[in-house]
Amino acid sequence: MSATLQPYLEAVRATLQAALCLEQFSSQVVERHNKPEVEVQTSRELLMTPVVVARNKQEKVLIEPSVNSVRVSIAIKQSDEIEKILCHKFTRFMCQRADNFFVLRRKPIPGYDISFLITAHHTESMYKHKLVDFLLHFMQEIDKEISEMKLSLNARARVSAEEFLKRFN
Amino acid sequence: MSGTPVQHWNLGIGPISCHAWNKDRTQVAVSASSNEIHIFEWKNGDWINVHTLDEHDLPVTGLDWAPNTNRIVSCSQDKNAFVWTFDRGHWKPELVLVRFQRAATCVKWSPLENKFAVGSGSKLVSICYYEKENDWWVSKQIKKPIRSTVNCIDWHPNNVLLAVGACDFKTRVFSAWIKEVDDKPSPNPWGSKMPFSQLMGEYNASGWVHQVAFSPSGCRLAYVSHDSSISLVDANQDNTVSHTLRTTHLPFTSVRWLTENSIVAAGHEYSPILFTVQGNGLKEVCVLDVPSANKTASVNSALQMFKNIDKNAASEKIDVQLKTLHQNRITQIMPHSGQPNNILKFTTCGTDGLIALWDLKNNSAMVR
Amino acid sequence: MILLEQNNRIISELLELKFNNAKEGGKPDSVNSNFADFDGVLYHISNPGGDKTKLLLSISLKFYKDLQEHGADALIRREYGPYMTSPEPGYNVSLLFDLNSLPQDTGALIHKASMLKRNCFASVFEKYFEFQEAGEEGQKRAVINYREDETMYIEAKADRVTVIFSTIFKDQDDVIIGKVFLQEFREGRKASQTAPSVLYSLGEPPLELKGLPGARIGDNVGYITFVLFPRHTNKKTRDNTIDLIHSFRDYLHYHIKCSKAYLHSRMRAKTTDFLKVLNRAKPEVKGEKKTFSGRTFQTS
Repeated sequence: MSATLQPYLEAVRATLQAALCLEQFSSQVVERHNKPEVEVQTSRELLMTPVVVARNKQEKVLIEPSVNSVRVSIAIKQSDEIEKILCHKFTRFMCQRADNFFVLRRKPIPGYDISFLITAHHTESMYKHKLVDFLLHFMQEIDKEISEMKLSLNARARVSAEEFLKRFN
Repeated sequence: MSGTPVQHWNLGIGPISCHAWNKDRTQVAVSASSNEIHIFEWKNGDWINVHTLDEHDLPVTGLDWAPNTNRIVSCSQDKNAFVWTFDRGHWKPELVLVRFQRAATCVKWSPLENKFAVGSGSKLVSICYYEKENDWWVSKQIKKPIRSTVNCIDWHPNNVLLAVGACDFKTRVFSAWIKEVDDKPSPNPWGSKMPFSQLMGEYNASGWVHQVAFSPSGCRLAYVSHDSSISLVDANQDNTVSHTLRTTHLPFTSVRWLTENSIVAAGHEYSPILFTVQGNGLKEVCVLDVPSANKTASVNSALQMFKNIDKNAASEKIDVQLKTLHQNRITQIMPHSGQPNNILKFTTCGTDGLIALWDLKNNSAMVR
Repeated sequence: MILLEQNNRIISELLELKFNNAKEGGKPDSVNSNFADFDGVLYHISNPGGDKTKLLLSISLKFYKDLQEHGADALIRREYGPYMTSPEPGYNVSLLFDLNSLPQDTGALIHKASMLKRNCFASVFEKYFEFQEAGEEGQKRAVINYREDETMYIEAKADRVTVIFSTIFKDQDDVIIGKVFLQEFREGRKASQTAPSVLYSLGEPPLELKGLPGARIGDNVGYITFVLFPRHTNKKTRDNTIDLIHSFRDYLHYHIKCSKAYLHSRMRAKTTDFLKVLNRAKPEVKGEKKTFSGRTFQTS
């Protein structure tokens, strides 16, 4: 683990803990509606200042809190073309399963690779501290998984090329 | 709190948004983030669900049980409020003309129980009273200058003044004097002229105001807001300034006076915290929840182990429990035993589905 | 399975079954099956005119006329002489086997039959290998449109034969994964000194093909050049070289697809893993469950 990762994750954890203080809130604009205020953005006073926690130019987290919902968008490290497509494939794969993930937003916010939308319903039905754990686990694992996938892709390419060329004599 | 563990019950109905006790504390009305109100009665050492009131059609946001007239008032996101009266074994609802266009957020009986106030997402408060001629609950509205959803209300003991906290970062004190039901109010530290909807005081906060509370004498006002602060207005000294104490905790969503000098607040921190009035401002005294040594009885069955592997991808038992009693946000604090100016026990309810009964006798020294 | 088989397994299994049945004196039954191979090749095995004692194996290659220009017919005749028959309508080459007069060694015959596609391809390689051996330069470059949009070019010099494949990657992701593979093919020579040298270019054709009307330009086009030296083209090693090189394109795409499948399964596993971690946030619901017989047990 590099020296900057730990402080980065700690900063994200602290911000999330503060941002995830949510409660049920009915819309004051549309009657009988209860919608995530961070998505509808109809009342300025119900939104808090968005926070960006960045580790470097590429890796950053945008946290947009509001009275009854928080939007967490993550930009994942992509140092080359392969990591880019792997990341893209992976996030798309997950978004297609957004129903199972409850807190996953179907579309990421522009400029980010994946977005989560956590509402008061979620913090009521799940432990908040474990939700934070999940998001941090996700951030750590996705980097690891993408670099491992890249390595195995390279390894496969090498083995198959070598095996093919070895057969010439 | 040392020694005695805090009594608590899981009512098994999911996240509790609000609760209200009857006069002798044998029954409790709770709402579980649904459109139903459950009334539980203490029978044979357990809480039994004796009534379910389901007149609302969206989640219930507020409940209050008038101890002397034995009436329950409830309000909900469906814009309505009902007054429930107990008649021959049944709770009978009466619709109140609150005249809201948006959700109702909170409700409270006045100390004399002849009227009640309902806060709303329509950026106003309705003061409701019973009109005998029409056999009807009617309302008068306080609108100006509230500019966002009303989060919380509290009555002054004189049955006239009403504190209102809202999402526009302001706490205000209004007169809710209704000439049809009230006697002429006598002057008090908040002012002397009190026509209906007169603004008696306005105080700033740096976040959404989650809860306001008058002290037992009505001379002090406390409120908590989303910037993790707790503020005090002492009308005996100066009813135009508030003293704010910023804390390092997560925001409080509930606050209540235990005596004229001490306050308990709770919220996203999962544990009630005690404050006392000192000089002009407030001082944090202690956290009431003392982590118990090992609360989670480790279930080491093979079934549990395989279940963990299957569901959570964890090879051993993962500790999901926090050290505090409440495992999620505390939504409300209600007095349980004692006099209004000397509360001995209070209860909290939370989104983790628990109702906890906190006994202050071990802390009496600190509460003074 | 890293390497692809050169022969067609369906042919060999089917013929083996029929031939063995015939040898053991079993009653021949009717056959009629259509199947496919790489590069859009189609096969048909049937009983000509309903005669169950005879088997007709036909192959259809879309680009057979390209191959004919380079002596495919002659090579087929050389390989399959006695079994050749006039092609079935809609097919390019047909072989006829009489179950009543099978040779002693059916194994060799089956193997040969299953290599039908490879042998169709072989002619063009053999021709240019000959050119190289004879030192004949300046021969026209052979152009085989072995798939729609994909072409193979063969050219002979005195000291080498260059084989250039153009191939299409279906989407942008394939281009990038393909690039990883092609890089490794280029580097592969380090692992094996005897291998031909491999070059590649993406997006536009290599110098030799610049300006050629058929040479496609586009983001998803890749060109792979094999430079075969005399050690690969001499009579002894020639067959092995042809075996390998004619299936290169299929080999490359097969491994790209396999890699994608692997990545997909990894993502699926990881996603389930993430879900389980998210599950930890859900409080366990206490509930009573009833078994079928009506007994209850407590879930914790």
